Amino acid sequence: PIEDLFDSLNKHIQRSEFEQAVKVADQVLSIAPGDEDAIRCKVVALIKADSIDEALSAIKVYQKPPLDFGFFKAYCLYRQNKLDESLDSLKNQERNSAAMLLECQILYRSGKMDACMDIYQKLQKSKIDSLEINYVAGLVAAGRALE
Amino acid sequence: NPIVLDLAYNFIDFPSLENRM
Ligand SMILES: [K+]
Repeated sequence: PIEDLFDSLNKHIQRSEFEQAVKVADQVLSIAPGDEDAIRCKVVALIKADSIDEALSAIKVYQKPPLDFGFFKAYCLYRQNKLDESLDSLKNQERNSAAMLLECQILYRSGKMDACMDIYQKLQKSKIDSLEINYVAGLVAAGRALE
Repeated sequence: NPIVLDLAYNFIDFPSLENRM
């Protein structure tokens, strides 16, 4: 039954066995096509398994409302260094901490330090672990850009 | 430029499967 598959899927996730998790998510989808939890698990497991191309393919296949993979898609495009496309994908997203953080990382890679630092200022309130490391990197990079 | 941590990665989360098992 599907509950046993989800139990197995959960165990693989807990053990960081992401390739196995993808396989079990596929098994769920073979008996319950369109199962949102299984689809989401598959996409996240592919990203965590560093299978970014496959994650993007899965997003393309499964992306239909109400499922919204805008943030995951933007993240995958960022990993592929497709920075303009990544920003485009973020534009349709709720501007939460995760989206703003990713936007910062994209802007940093694009050398747009002022815009990047503006967003970091806004994120200071949101208590993100290690945020100050990227903030300082941005300050240093911005300083160098002025030289 | 200095290395930037991929902090966005930490926001890539699995859904809770609690009530699916
Ligand atoms: K950054």
